[in-house]
Amino acid sequence: MQPFLLAVFFIALTVGIYFFMNLLYLKFHYSVLMPALTATSLIILFLSFTDVSYNAYMVGGEWIDRLLGPAVVALAIPLYKQRKLLFENLMPIFTGTLAGVMIGLTTGITLAKSLGFSDVLVSSLLPKSITSPVAMEIAEQIGGIPSLAAVFVMIAGFTGIIIGPAVLRLLHIDTAIGLGMGYGASAHGIGTAKALEYGAREASVSSVAMSLSAIFGSFLAPLFAWLFHLI
Amino acid sequence: MKLLVLLLQIGFLYGFFILGQLLRELFSIPLPGSILGLILMFTALSLKLFPLRWVDSGATLLLAFLPLFFIPATVGIVDYFDVFTGKGVLLIVVLILSTILTMAGSGLTSQYLSRRSEAGKELS
Repeated sequence: MQPFLLAVFFIALTVGIYFFMNLLYLKFHYSVLMPALTATSLIILFLSFTDVSYNAYMVGGEWIDRLLGPAVVALAIPLYKQRKLLFENLMPIFTGTLAGVMIGLTTGITLAKSLGFSDVLVSSLLPKSITSPVAMEIAEQIGGIPSLAAVFVMIAGFTGIIIGPAVLRLLHIDTAIGLGMGYGASAHGIGTAKALEYGAREASVSSVAMSLSAIFGSFLAPLFAWLFHLI
Repeated sequence: MKLLVLLLQIGFLYGFFILGQLLRELFSIPLPGSILGLILMFTALSLKLFPLRWVDSGATLLLAFLPLFFIPATVGIVDYFDVFTGKGVLLIVVLILSTILTMAGSGLTSQYLSRRSEAGKELS
């Protein structure tokens, strides 16, 4: 097939599967039906059955990929809308985000290194609690593999919403600030969707935590990677 | 008309992304261009260089579809499936442990600090 037609076909396939899976998720609202998980799996299945290589798929896929950059810039808008909440709770939110990012980086590196995993894997795992588009860029910068990073980010997100509620209850984290920060700083967008089940304020805090984690993580992940001799 | 406005707004957001990329390359800043763009956008809005409505609906649309945009990159995992075989399963244990510790750390710290500052406000 001509490259142009192939590109159009893979764009249509991706968007179509995404919309269908999103409808399914909106109807049933089970976390495992999140389109990021289901649509990705279906496309992987499609590629393996049709024997199409990833590079061939990306002839179309890269056009969708290009919207990641502006979408990250767009995170500034909810952050700006929540500026009152942010500035009224500046200390708890800033310190909480910083604590989360630093604990995530330190435990991620030390645990994975002590188990003898390669530097490439450790670097891919490092930005796991940061929203996928930013995590992929960070991973690439510190010598990791972006698509592995994206999958690790997804695993962290699901950990946050599956085990998170019990952890938060056990630690008596029950204020809007505590809950929102817990979900947003550890489980990014997936956690923010979960925080909405607690309330609008929890979700707002979580979305602020997610955006700030992405900013702090971009500064600190390369620094920690360097400190622990990954780069 | 509405579609044109949306496209213009997304184009505007794209401009900030490009600006972030340029700054990154020009000054060798070790930050993703998109994050630089985010910081620039937040600063520009805070300084009221342009009103929120210039970017609001475009940003809302992009963020609503964010999961769609990272599907192609995530599909790239097909080339790395062997990572999760054998010892690789332990990576999932590391991810789970580290994520829980991150959640506990950020949740406890922020809740403690916000309670302390509220107690302070009531005293004064």
